[in-house]
Amino acid sequence: MNKCTDSDIQEMLPDLLHRALSESERRRVEAHVASCESCREDLDVLRTVKSAAVFAPSIDVDRVVRQIPPYRTILPETERPAIRRPASTRMVSWLVAASLALVAVGAGSVLLQSNRLPTSPSGMDDQPSTAIATTGEPTKASPAESVVTVGTRTPAVAAQHPHALALAAEADGLSDGGLVQLMNDMDNFDALPGSEPDPVLSVDSGDSL
Amino acid sequence: MIPSPEGRPEETDLELINRWRAGDGRAATRLVGRHSQALARFAASAGERDGIEELVQDTFVRAFASLDSFRGESTLRTWLFTIERRLMLDRRRSERRSRETVPVEESDHVSEYGALDGLIAEEAQERVRKSLDALSPTQREVFTLRVQQGLSYKEIAEVVGSTEGAARVHYHNAIKTVKEFLKDE
Repeated sequence: MNKCTDSDIQEMLPDLLHRALSESERRRVEAHVASCESCREDLDVLRTVKSAAVFAPSIDVDRVVRQIPPYRTILPETERPAIRRPASTRMVSWLVAASLALVAVGAGSVLLQSNRLPTSPSGMDDQPSTAIATTGEPTKASPAESVVTVGTRTPAVAAQHPHALALAAEADGLSDGGLVQLMNDMDNFDALPGSEPDPVLSVDSGDSL
Repeated sequence: MIPSPEGRPEETDLELINRWRAGDGRAATRLVGRHSQALARFAASAGERDGIEELVQDTFVRAFASLDSFRGESTLRTWLFTIERRLMLDRRRSERRSRETVPVEESDHVSEYGALDGLIAEEAQERVRKSLDALSPTQREVFTLRVQQGLSYKEIAEVVGSTEGAARVHYHNAIKTVKEFLKDE
């Protein structure tokens, strides 16, 4: 048997099986196959292979369709409409955010103070008699909350607060009785300072300056 | 519209896709019904034995989930074949990995042959199966897409990620091998 050399026809044999040829092409291919043993043999092979494909299991269409989500639920991210939550939910979110911000600011302030003010290893209880208020303005805070310890002030910190430096230098040489006297004197001191007072250093009772 | 065998106009795939996008679930049923058997045949002829229905199902789920990326430049069926082929490759890769780690048990052989017996009922089909097994994976894909599915070389090249010329060469080598195998049987 001679091998067919008409590659165009050979190319079209599968299309003949699938009825994918135009009328003129179909007639041309069929005429060729009728006279070409090689192509007839090829066509037989192709028919056998095509018909052998029927062993594939049949598919339950409804079962497949049930697994397909509706179009609306699988829109891409960019095309999804913005989801608006109820006003009450939004308000709660804002309150939570505000609370967290306040906590963060408060924690930051405490940390800042901790870094600026050296902590006494033994705490406030060690120096109760050396605590004096550094402000001339009355505050609503209790005395325990608005006192600073001057005995442990470092020179670097004291240099930022000239009044404190003076008090520190003075307090260093005072006995407990002298310090009490100094505090009493300050209580009776009613003159206003000539410049802006130092900021009130409000610390927790466990901290010291 | 494509005329149906009954004479009434049959909706094209794109029309059905648009209907499904508009919320018509029946359009999905029509699309699945139209293409599911072709996908099953392609999977079977590509050497899949078990879980063909699951494979077809996964193909449709994945296709519908990414239908917005289907531009209609190829036919929907070609696009579905491409997705299914990727799933088959993934499945084979994971099977290969599990074979490397999990020892094959005797019962696996039994179930495999049992499924095979169920799928191949007639002698002619078995002969064809054997002849296809003699082909390389790419030759088998190209050949079955061309002969069993009737895809053009351009479409086959899209599905297998190759060129039309390469698909042609694979087809001619495949038919030569299959012809010789069937003649010798």
